[in-house]
Amino acid sequence: MHERTVRALGLVGALAYAAFIGWLYIRQPQSVAEVTGGLTASIGAYRIDPQAFDDGLRFFRRDQFPEARGALERADPAEQDARTQFYIAYSYYRQGWGRLYQDDALFARGLERVTKAIALAPNGRLVVDDAELQMRSADELKAELEAGLRTDVSDLNPLRVFGHRK
Amino acid sequence: MNATREAGYLPALLLTVAWLGGVRIAGRIALVPPPLFALVLGLLLLGVLVKSGALAPDRLMHPSRPALANVNGLVVIVATFFASAQVFNLITPEAGLPRLVCNLFLLVLLFNTQAASPDRVRVLRSLMVIVGFAFVMKFIVLAALSDPAGGTLKRVLLVMLEGLTLGTLTQAPFHPATGYVAFFTIVMFLIALALLPSRDRFSAGDIRSTTPAITNGR
Repeated sequence: MHERTVRALGLVGALAYAAFIGWLYIRQPQSVAEVTGGLTASIGAYRIDPQAFDDGLRFFRRDQFPEARGALERADPAEQDARTQFYIAYSYYRQGWGRLYQDDALFARGLERVTKAIALAPNGRLVVDDAELQMRSADELKAELEAGLRTDVSDLNPLRVFGHRK
Repeated sequence: MNATREAGYLPALLLTVAWLGGVRIAGRIALVPPPLFALVLGLLLLGVLVKSGALAPDRLMHPSRPALANVNGLVVIVATFFASAQVFNLITPEAGLPRLVCNLFLLVLLFNTQAASPDRVRVLRSLMVIVGFAFVMKFIVLAALSDPAGGTLKRVLLVMLEGLTLGTLTQAPFHPATGYVAFFTIVMFLIALALLPSRDRFSAGDIRSTTPAITNGR
């Protein structure tokens, strides 16, 4: 092969490889599905599995949260879809919500997911058009999860037992 | 220098080292970017390589070379820097007193090597010893001390370190795969350094590519 061609191909390959490594360091994917999903999402070709998403939504509405998360995670294995991540976060909120206390571990996972959903949404704005939900924006859900994780004097307020799950 | 080496497998090797040097496998796979101190050590190592002749920058970038070849050379130099920084990131313990001691040890050794002005072969040998020693300390000795289950090596080390508070030495435990990845990364790095265009190793191809008038008989 001509030396010039070898050099040009080598340069393009090295730059593409360096960009891929930089992307890996920024996104920190944990599986091959996340790598391929992230790469396809970066060119706008990523699609979730609609059947698994519908299954997840059905479980979510029946308050079967672990089952809902299982289906939603199957729908979005690369964790690249903001709406799916929002529902996963919401499932953690609903499962962790309690009249007397909140489950901090579930709320923390919910906060992690909603933060991811916000990061994935265009301009960080995510509003889900779902009449079943009382919190339709990721910002509301995030604030609710953060409030649940915060420890302050309002935790001692006995009127909390009259609160309701959103 | 061979174009395939300069534009192909040398950048590939060095970039792979820069990638794998940050891999830490514990509960999850984390890619740790080089801390600032590793960048400083990487730059010092680059200086040592140039001074010893293990890396001849003028064989990678020179006005007599074509523009494309110079860009390839630049990629090799930049990749060598990042690979060096990531190797230092890899062999340095993650936290505490061992991290501080190791960083100081590497800094003094690099300054010392620079002051001694050794030749290419000596620098590569010395680097192999430094990196190898740091690897053994982090991935065998400190890993054994930090192993919550404990083993024969941990018991032996505990006897040797009698009276020392282990809290200052122990590190967050890694999955054993981290050590294997680190080992192959270090081997790859040393191979890449040995393949770098050096001052004392001009090939016929290099002379031909830099002085076309002589080789064409004009």
